[in-house]
Amino acid sequence: MKSSTRLIAVLVTAVLGGCSATTTIDEYRPTGDAIELNANERVVVLGRRDAGHYETDREFISCVGNKMRGADIEVLPEQEFIDAIYPWFEPRTAPKGLPRLKRLMQDASIKTQVDKRNVRYLVWLDGSTETLDSGGSISCAIGPGGGGCFGFAQWDKVSVYEAIVWDLDQLTEKGRLRVDSEGTSYLIGAVAPIPFLTPVKSDACSSMGNQLKNFFSVSQ
Amino acid sequence: MLTIKLKIFAAITSLVILSGCSSSASVQLTSEFPQVLAEPKALSAAVVFEPSFATYIAEPNAKTVIDIGAAQVRLLRNAFAGLFSKLEFVASREEVTTDNAMVIIPSVREVQVSTPSDNYLNVFEVWIKYNLDLETTEGESIDSWFMPAYGKTPDAFMASKSAAIEEATIIALRDAGAKLMLDFYRIPAVNNWAAEEQKRARQEQDSIQQTKNAEVSP
Repeated sequence: MKSSTRLIAVLVTAVLGGCSATTTIDEYRPTGDAIELNANERVVVLGRRDAGHYETDREFISCVGNKMRGADIEVLPEQEFIDAIYPWFEPRTAPKGLPRLKRLMQDASIKTQVDKRNVRYLVWLDGSTETLDSGGSISCAIGPGGGGCFGFAQWDKVSVYEAIVWDLDQLTEKGRLRVDSEGTSYLIGAVAPIPFLTPVKSDACSSMGNQLKNFFSVSQ
Repeated sequence: MLTIKLKIFAAITSLVILSGCSSSASVQLTSEFPQVLAEPKALSAAVVFEPSFATYIAEPNAKTVIDIGAAQVRLLRNAFAGLFSKLEFVASREEVTTDNAMVIIPSVREVQVSTPSDNYLNVFEVWIKYNLDLETTEGESIDSWFMPAYGKTPDAFMASKSAAIEEATIIALRDAGAKLMLDFYRIPAVNNWAAEEQKRARQEQDSIQQTKNAEVSP
């Protein structure tokens, strides 16, 4: 009895252990010093949406923003910033590099809107979460006597996101960050479908948010 | 009795599930668009929103209906306000009253929609192909400008097709505004018209000033 309980515990631990994502973070900063952020200055996190086959989803952007807010960093909502300077940060018009940003910031009306909202730093996020590989099969049936699912399915997911921090005051790049997260999820059909989901995207968001928090130092 | 109730319950549940899986989408856009951040040129324009444009309902395929008429009028009103300092919006060419204005008659050539089942990508895409007929108030053609706009939105698990197409259409309309702001004065014929119109306005101003000066001096 005791040995069977131990076996179940080991199996559950093994399965749950298999549900954790592996995350790698690469960071580049010109200097080792944290970026100074005054108490009244804000950061805006924007998603790149000019790629043809994927979109940096808004859910991920707000997730990273929420993680950064937890560290007393004031984060302006993405849509509020984009609407305030419409149409200069739409997918077609958003600056892809610093030279274009410099030209945009020379426009007095754009500069006024940015200053009015106290936005000092802009974080561009670019990436997506994709399902790479899937296997197994699960089938469900229902009849007068009841129903159930039987089988086993698994799929691999990978999240790759890159962040670039721009200083809107000095018009320079302050650093880059790349997060790669991958993991396998399982669905076991044993009458009821039992999912063991690996939170790949959520892990990428936490890692990105926490690492970005370390980029900034808020002075009171 | 219990069996009949169970059957009715099962039938209703199946219907709800099947209607949730329906692949048709009917979208009506009600969203507002932000004001454009741009300094308009000291020029006049009359924008003709013909009823066929203002009430346009796109049917890109048998299963999709998008009511974009009112939304595209709201968007273009905002966008043209960033291009011309003096604007007039009318419902037909005959109603134009502004002198020396560019008459702009927008129309929709085509709307296309692509879903993840069409493109094998996790995105919904919408293309809106506009045509702007540009004329002088005298009816002389300046240009006919083809203006495509594009919007896409990611597919989300369990999210409805209608919501995804609505969001992609809003992004496409915003893209139309961006394209207009970015490229309108880059059209050679429009650029020439604007230069000539500004020159004419300056000459008119000078002539008024000269007349005033002549009246003042003995």
